[in-house]
Amino acid sequence: MRFLHPFTLFTLAVALPALAWILPAPWGAAGTFAVAMALLLTPGASPGWRVARTALLTAAPFWFFLYLLHGVGGMVPTGLRLSTMIASFVWLVAVLPPARLVEAMVAAGWPVSAAFLFSATLQAVPALRERAQRLVDAQRCRGLATRGGPLVRLAALRALALPLVLSALHEVDERALALETRGLVPGARRTALAPPPDHWSERVLRWALVLGCAALVIWRVA
Amino acid sequence: MTAPLALRGVTYRYPANQTPALREVSLDVRRGEVMALIGSVGAGASTLLLVAGDLAPRVMGGELTGTVERDGRAALLLPTPWTQLSGMAFSVHDEVAFGPANLGWTRERISASVERALTRVDVAHLRDRDPTTLSGGELQRVIFAGILAMEPDVLLLDEPTAELDPLAARSIWGLIRSLAQGGMAVVVATSDLDALPDMADRVAWLEAGAIRALGPAADVLIDPALEAPAAPGSTAIARVWRVAGLREPPPLTVSQTVERLR
Amino acid sequence: MSETLDLATVTYAYGEHVALRDVSFSLRAGERVALVGHTGAGKSTVMRLITGLLRPTAGTVWVGDWDTSERRPEELAHRVGSLFQHADQQLFARTVREDVAFGPRATGVPAADVASRVTRALAAAGLEAVAEEHPYDLPPPERKLAALAGALALEPSLLVLDEPTAGLDRPARGRVAAALTERAAQGTALLVITHDLDFAAETLDRGLVLDHGRIVHDAPLSDLLALGDGLEALGLIAPPLSRLSTALALPGHPIRAREVASALASVAARNRVS
Repeated sequence: MRFLHPFTLFTLAVALPALAWILPAPWGAAGTFAVAMALLLTPGASPGWRVARTALLTAAPFWFFLYLLHGVGGMVPTGLRLSTMIASFVWLVAVLPPARLVEAMVAAGWPVSAAFLFSATLQAVPALRERAQRLVDAQRCRGLATRGGPLVRLAALRALALPLVLSALHEVDERALALETRGLVPGARRTALAPPPDHWSERVLRWALVLGCAALVIWRVA
Repeated sequence: MTAPLALRGVTYRYPANQTPALREVSLDVRRGEVMALIGSVGAGASTLLLVAGDLAPRVMGGELTGTVERDGRAALLLPTPWTQLSGMAFSVHDEVAFGPANLGWTRERISASVERALTRVDVAHLRDRDPTTLSGGELQRVIFAGILAMEPDVLLLDEPTAELDPLAARSIWGLIRSLAQGGMAVVVATSDLDALPDMADRVAWLEAGAIRALGPAADVLIDPALEAPAAPGSTAIARVWRVAGLREPPPLTVSQTVERLR
Repeated sequence: MSETLDLATVTYAYGEHVALRDVSFSLRAGERVALVGHTGAGKSTVMRLITGLLRPTAGTVWVGDWDTSERRPEELAHRVGSLFQHADQQLFARTVREDVAFGPRATGVPAADVASRVTRALAAAGLEAVAEEHPYDLPPPERKLAALAGALALEPSLLVLDEPTAGLDRPARGRVAAALTERAAQGTALLVITHDLDFAAETLDRGLVLDHGRIVHDAPLSDLLALGDGLEALGLIAPPLSRLSTALALPGHPIRAREVASALASVAARNRVS
């Protein structure tokens, strides 16, 4: 899976949620969700079940709110669609290191700042997770209880959310500056160090997905 | 020969700040010289490097009066090396190649420059490692290599040994010295005063954004005013000489002390 | 357990990698110990074991009479105050005073005592002038001092600090040294992971050297630093005052500024150099 061209992986990750919304509910949504989950569970860089669990846990609160708003009937199709979106994104982050996507974009002639924007967004997730862990550790060593009832957890959130957000914002600021120091200035023309190979069959697959989605949109609207 | 870096009467204010961070700073840095910037936190050393590296006011905003003249490329190493990690490299090799790649060089030129930089900073053995698995000290050296690989004419270093253990710090100071000997102009802000007598040619002492003293390292470092409570202090040897009540000017290093006591 | 801290043949391994091997040492009340060694030697692992973030694979870590493997980090906070690297990023309250108060409150200290502890801690760290400021309005070195004050306010029996002087200028380093010395004099044991051997020589008494997960030296700092060039094999370099002591063969190999100065004055007088 990781050997596919980054653009292919990216197109898949975008096409699945698109299809989830385009295809008629609930079977269309259920189908794409099943495909997304299958992708997550395919052996890859990290154990599939752990990644799948992350996706499901992230989606859970949405299901809860949908149930409150729409009851069971409204909850299922939208819930499945949102879950497909979340699962696809989680899968993409797990399977595509930002470095490869940027190399592919640069090799294809995209401007450096656009490539960086994509990469920075994907990169933020593991970086924030690591910070959050360090923060939890430090606050626990100051006496912060993290296990317990909802009130306990709410109090814990207060001690974690603000420093995490503040330091993440500050770091984004610093990183933008730091990248300038490494030549990533607007208008830079970057040399691709190791452009990923792109087989014609993958290009066909990507176009097929894009055109397929477009065709389905037209079919549904008509 | 023009200096590769010259600041003339530079006053700089950060955005939304009333107080200038730099006040009428005039400084030139010659090829083959190491200029050290010392001062307490907030004195303006980091700001001076940002101005010299064309990041202030261009990227940071704020107001600058005076002139900054640059002859050649300047590269800046921040005191927080983990923020300078590109996030787009799998291996240390690619991380170091990141800067040169952004400069649009050919792959051959990049490759040669990366090899040289990896060897000079003694991180060649880390070339295949994932940059996110490096320790603080290894990371600082890798980023240093990444900056060197851009083949700058002026090297701007903000606390380059902050994350390093004493042995690694000593080898970085040695590297800086040899880079200067090879013709590079180096400006280094540091709080490691003990390293300066053997490493720096000239020292600029910054206080509240202005240059309080500027001259050969040996001259600036013996100034008794450095030992004032809010001042950066001089070398540990100079301090202990003064505590012992011995005569001015103090020696700055162990070997100088041994000589004086002969 | 009469010791404040006792590591009894502690081994820590994860996967294939053995980070610590049969590590044993103990600290009594008021002892001031530097934990040194090259990067990767296992120092942070020791800290994480003591604070309860990790459990030993073998052996036991005792904080007083508590076995750390039976306690959560938030419980150990009653006895262990810690300062991690990047501590300047852990502040979250609206004012420095409130942030410093967090630890004592979270560990159940009665409200009346919290206020006095906070005041003492702020005074020790020299932060009274900025106590009502928002922590993120302060520069990183001041925030680090605020984090230190937070650990001090726990009034623990043991303080474990990771590079407390990193990023600090001379005045701030002096404040850290003064605060730690004061606490140690009151009976708090100190375990400081540090590269800053100047600071260690001036403020601490005993040196523990870790090398590839094992303790290879446990000796008074003065004896350790007297090894001179032999320190390089351990990833260390003797600080300037220690090297001066060696070069002038000062009796007793003093390493603290005051002692080196008086020995120096004697040598100068003897050589009729003033």
